[in-house]
Amino acid sequence: MVRPWILLLLLLLAISPPSHSSTVHNNNWAVLVCTSRFWFNYRHMANTLSLYRTVKRLGIPDERIILMLADDMACNARNSYPAQVFNNENHMLNLYGDNVEVDYRGYEVTVENFLRVLTGRHETAVPRSKRLLSDEGSHILVYMTGHGGDEFLKFQDNEELQSHDLADAVKQMKEKHRFKELLIMVDTCQAATLFSQLQSPGVLAIGSSKKGENSYSHHLDSDIGVSVVDRFTYYTLAFFEKLNMYSNASLSSLFNSYDSHLLMSTASYREDLYRRPLSEVPVTNFFGSVMKTFHTDFAYTGFSMEPEAHISLVSETDSRRTLGSENAQTEAANHNAKDNCPFHAWLKVLEDKLDNENAEKLVLYGLGSMVLLLAISTLLSV
Amino acid sequence: MSPYSGSMYHGSPLLLPVLGPLTVNRVKGLPAHLFCSLIFVIVDFVTAMLIRATGQKLMSTYHRSLQLLNLSCVQETAGHTHVGDLASLIFLWNPFTIITCAGSSTSPIDNLMIVLSIYGACSGLSSLASFGWVVSTHLSLYPAILVIPVILLLGYGPDAPPSKLFFLKKSNESGGSCPKDKTCSEQKSKEESHIRNFCWRPVLFFILWSLIWSSYILFLSFISLKEFGGLSEMVKKTHGFILNVEDLSPNIGVFWYFFAEVFEFFRSFFLIVFHINILFMLVPLVIRLRHRPCFLAFVYIAIMSMLKSYPSVGDSALYLGLLGLFANELAEMRFSFFLLCGYVGISLLSPVMHNLWIWRGTGNANFYFATGIAYASLQTVLIVECVSTILKHDRMLRNKLTT
Repeated sequence: MVRPWILLLLLLLAISPPSHSSTVHNNNWAVLVCTSRFWFNYRHMANTLSLYRTVKRLGIPDERIILMLADDMACNARNSYPAQVFNNENHMLNLYGDNVEVDYRGYEVTVENFLRVLTGRHETAVPRSKRLLSDEGSHILVYMTGHGGDEFLKFQDNEELQSHDLADAVKQMKEKHRFKELLIMVDTCQAATLFSQLQSPGVLAIGSSKKGENSYSHHLDSDIGVSVVDRFTYYTLAFFEKLNMYSNASLSSLFNSYDSHLLMSTASYREDLYRRPLSEVPVTNFFGSVMKTFHTDFAYTGFSMEPEAHISLVSETDSRRTLGSENAQTEAANHNAKDNCPFHAWLKVLEDKLDNENAEKLVLYGLGSMVLLLAISTLLSV
Repeated sequence: MSPYSGSMYHGSPLLLPVLGPLTVNRVKGLPAHLFCSLIFVIVDFVTAMLIRATGQKLMSTYHRSLQLLNLSCVQETAGHTHVGDLASLIFLWNPFTIITCAGSSTSPIDNLMIVLSIYGACSGLSSLASFGWVVSTHLSLYPAILVIPVILLLGYGPDAPPSKLFFLKKSNESGGSCPKDKTCSEQKSKEESHIRNFCWRPVLFFILWSLIWSSYILFLSFISLKEFGGLSEMVKKTHGFILNVEDLSPNIGVFWYFFAEVFEFFRSFFLIVFHINILFMLVPLVIRLRHRPCFLAFVYIAIMSMLKSYPSVGDSALYLGLLGLFANELAEMRFSFFLLCGYVGISLLSPVMHNLWIWRGTGNANFYFATGIAYASLQTVLIVECVSTILKHDRMLRNKLTT
């Protein structure tokens, strides 16, 4: 008896159009993960730190960056430049400078912690700096680098993150409204396989190589003794070094800048889940932190829409509109109580007549007439 | 937006539409706040002119009363300065006044209102006096205590020697009269000796005008704040802020250091104690100095500037200027050089200690509060010395009269 109704309900849900994302983009987050440790994986840490530096330079603050590193390069006994990490053999840029805030370091970089960061399911004692506190207006950049393979990514030589684990985590994030748009950037061997299982809308992914291809390091630094940067990240950084916070280079120009001959692999991206055309999305939507500000005179009511947009509300936002309606109810109650007294009724009439600008003008005229009255009364009594 | 959202502004809502547009309008090539600074310069100048006019009134009353007592010799022996000019020049050239004006603080407007009320009371203009009193109370709460000297000024007139001297003079003159016609001769001699009676008419006008001005000001505040919580919001955020001392950032006063460490349980008790510190001095001073209401106003202003919850050098600038109005009576003040050096030293050391504490981190709060305490003690010494010198002056007049 009940089953046909359930089927009908499921059918309705299946054929109902996906709800418009009626939220406003109002913050950017970055999760930068380096999944390798040991001295010969220097380039992975240099990759992650370079991207950290770029993302900070373009405006995302430390509070909104989760940096996961094994962090054993800078003070490694084999490092002939102690406390310095370079991504180029010209040593012009010290990536391990004054203000690198690593949130998960050493053995804390595990698959479990990474998934906990993404889904937000932490133990109660985890501090706020280690949590991804995004909301439904966030754009999140997830960058992962290390050693990977077909449908997996190796974490610190003893565990692996599989592509369906990642897809699951992203699905949970979508259910919990933890992002508005997500960009996953992976620099490992066979990187594109890692996001083959993704299904959530609003996700864009780019990997440094296709299935069956390796990703290569860029060059060896003979002074340090290991390779210092990977090719995909090197050319990504080359693209970003030309930009500043206010550039509006689009994602399509970033993706088109990768040359498969220079990378020695094919950078492939996945845009079927992403609704907006890539040529209209500026890179600072993910890599930087420039936002449109709306100046309003009324109180902040949470995740409401842009004032000019007239999209009809879907039910999921109704719960947040109750705040506004509660205010209206209390105001109505106040009005009812006050109407009894004639003085208050007269005041209410006065209030209704005056709006903001009139009130200011009236105050100015009042002050002027006060001075005039003072002068007249002084002259009269002298 | 409500002007009180965010804890930046705790002043009157009526200042905002006046001063706000002035800070925004730019004249080409000149800094944006030029008009605003110009307003404060004009306000300071008007205050100085009013101080000068008050000084002239005081001087003329003083001459008249000395003549009535046949003590004009006092004027000629002592070096007699024109107090109005002296006081206005002291006020204008005081470094504190210049700093306050240059810093675009709104203290000059407070000072103008206080001086306006004193001038109005000295000249017998009840509406002016009540306007100044109401607006200065509205802007900061403490000038409310000035209602006492203002009423005394309106009732009795400006400063004069104590009425006892007039009685003494009358009794000296009529030493040989027969006791039979005592009643009518008493009345006649009362008129002749010009003993001051308290006339109620200006005081009643004062009360009437205060009601008019205060309702006007409250109405205007209500209009400007009607969307943001109305008058209760204004009172809570302006006067409530002054009385509750919520913001404990360091200043030249004595409240912040203490209230940074007081326990929550005792906070209201100590707030009451600190505010009563001002109030309990009012009545004894009235009793002792009721014949000199202008000087009483000066002492009240000095006490207020010292013991208010958020003092600034603008308040000190006011009473230092008014100090000049009593230059003749205070000519024999002791410790004047010490006080001058003290003021100079404090104004130099206090910013240094503040810098050491907050910007360099090599000092701590005690460094800065030490200068604050030293400043408070200097002001105490100044007030006590002024009062005792005035009383000595009155005693000297009495001795001159009886010899």
